[in-house]
Amino acid sequence: MSDRSNRLTRRKFLVASGAAALAAACGPSATPGASASAAATASAAATAGKALKIGVLLPFTKVYAELGNSMKRSTELYLKQAGGKLANRPVTAIYEDEANDPAVGLQKTQKFIEQDNVDLMMGIVATPIAYAVRGAVDSAKMIFIETNAGGNALTRDIANCTPSCKSKYIFRSSFSSWQISSPIGDYFATKKGVKEAFTFVADYGFGTESAADFTQSFTKGGGKVTGSLKAPLGSADFLPFVTQLKNQPTKDIYSFFSGTDAINYIKAWNQLGMPAAGYRMNGAGFLTEQDVLKEVKDLANGAVTSLFWAVTLDNAENKAFVDAYQKEYNLLPDVFAVQQWDGLKAVDLALQATKGDTSNKDAFITALEGVKFKSPRGDFEFDKTTHNPIQDMYIREVKVQSGQAVNVIVDKIARVTDPGKPTT
Amino acid sequence: MTVEVAIQQALNGISFGALLFILAAGLSLIFGMMDVINLAHGAFYMLGAYIALAAVQRTGNFWLALVLAPLLVGALGLIIEPLLLRRLRGRHLDQVLLTIGISLVIVDLVGLVAGREIRSIPFPAGLDRSVPIIGGDYPVYRLFVIAFGILLAALFAFIHRRSRLGALIRAGVDDAPMLAALGVDIDRVFATTFAAGAALAAIAGVIAAPVFGVFPGMDVDALIYSLIVVVVGGLGTLSGAIAGGALVGPADTFGKVLFPQFALALIFAIVAFVLLLRPTGLLGRVRIAR
Repeated sequence: MSDRSNRLTRRKFLVASGAAALAAACGPSATPGASASAAATASAAATAGKALKIGVLLPFTKVYAELGNSMKRSTELYLKQAGGKLANRPVTAIYEDEANDPAVGLQKTQKFIEQDNVDLMMGIVATPIAYAVRGAVDSAKMIFIETNAGGNALTRDIANCTPSCKSKYIFRSSFSSWQISSPIGDYFATKKGVKEAFTFVADYGFGTESAADFTQSFTKGGGKVTGSLKAPLGSADFLPFVTQLKNQPTKDIYSFFSGTDAINYIKAWNQLGMPAAGYRMNGAGFLTEQDVLKEVKDLANGAVTSLFWAVTLDNAENKAFVDAYQKEYNLLPDVFAVQQWDGLKAVDLALQATKGDTSNKDAFITALEGVKFKSPRGDFEFDKTTHNPIQDMYIREVKVQSGQAVNVIVDKIARVTDPGKPTT
Repeated sequence: MTVEVAIQQALNGISFGALLFILAAGLSLIFGMMDVINLAHGAFYMLGAYIALAAVQRTGNFWLALVLAPLLVGALGLIIEPLLLRRLRGRHLDQVLLTIGISLVIVDLVGLVAGREIRSIPFPAGLDRSVPIIGGDYPVYRLFVIAFGILLAALFAFIHRRSRLGALIRAGVDDAPMLAALGVDIDRVFATTFAAGAALAAIAGVIAAPVFGVFPGMDVDALIYSLIVVVVGGLGTLSGAIAGGALVGPADTFGKVLFPQFALALIFAIVAFVLLLRPTGLLGRVRIAR
């Protein structure tokens, strides 16, 4: 009998403690909005001079680690130049590693929102991670400055918000893939007089998007896309693909690759003697950014790409930026550093406009929407309807100047604005 | 696809297969001899590539790198086996965990020392051109990879069948405890085997570096490919690694070109199919559980 009652109490205890644990587990996550807004109203009065917490979510491990490092360097340089304060608020940057994994990215975002109570969030390199955190950021009313991922959907009206869609709380200081792919298609067809092109891109969301945007504008401009080819991301061996390219007649190839893929592609391209056979390599700017150029050197000679920046860009802001970055780190900045820099600059200016107040979200959003400044890339402002930047696109050609392969700017397409909705 | 293109793609496939053989040979050797699935294989491959990068940057000599990398990584293997792996002999799961740990340490140290930028090694002088061959120009370096793979396989076969070392290896694969009982210093044989396997991974790293690049994460790609090759070909035998490379290389190449959407699925379909028909791989041996 005593044994029986003992068993019962143990069971009761288990049930009770289980329920308690469940309540504890669900509690905080069930009401993040409530607690966050309560904290916000409490602190609203005394914001000026109070610490500003920025959650910076970047990849510090895996394949994009160096991009994350570059953006962290840029952040630290900006804050150092600003004396550690933005609009008189001392800044604490909290860095977290998204590890190029959407699940990790979402988890770290929730940490920023619920544990760290950050005032705003920045970063995220890969598009799938940006799409994965969009919902959490939006429902927590967390201001988020996306500083790299270029997936079109993040700043567009998309039916059912699948795979993602714009949010009033999300701004993007980098680009949309449409911006670096579509204008060059039109430029090739109408200005360069290219009649036919063939697309060869990385087989993932971004590459597919880039090829579609290029094809659409190139066709609209009177050109004809004669065929397409896709290589799995991280393909390693590019020779089979370049063999296929060489055995089709269209000479102008439009490509989207970046990083290691771009290097391996350009090397295979040269090994098969594509330039001598009359083929021309073109693409979205990441194909020939510095990380790639410094490894392939003159092998990319003649490649024409479009991007919103180049280290050689001739304006006062870019010179100051490149000099400062080089002085601090003994390294040339890359495009990722510029994107992060501009993100911070926008936050800085918006804070100045609100006198350092971030608790009134709507006022802060309005301030961000009104930000206009001279960036290393040229004039920068957010499109008020999409929160994607309105920016100039540069047509760049790789040339070897005094032994160094550089992107020389050959033309400019002014004020490129993302259409803000699907184009097909 | 015309005949010329088909021939070129076949060459691409064979050269990729040769590279896969070089990559998988070390993994297969260590497993066959020591019954250890060395998951640090990819890290040894990466280390070889980064040593090659450092050597090429300083001296500009690819061939020096091809000698230096296996020597250094082999020496590391010679330290790791007696120091760590030997203590866990016979405890398979613990050994697997240990090799994962070793790989994490190596990969992080490489990142710390060499940085996390993506890098590349230029093709060695003389092999950076193309030569006319049936169906068009073909890169010399790929022909070199094919030749190197064949040479290595021949060298292996010779050592395996004709030398005292080969006899020891064959005996060790069959029954290591019996070999020890016969008075052979099995510890030394194991240490040498592990070092040789690590050195082979490093050679693969050097050979692959000009084609695939040198970057964080390359270890995982290499490990997955080598596991696929040995599983298809048969674990633990030299001929298995050859067969695996010869099947997976061309299949991967033609898969990418003909059905790009299913390229990866095709490879794993082959793995599944081979395992269904021959659970030990194409040329694998039935192992007696000890």
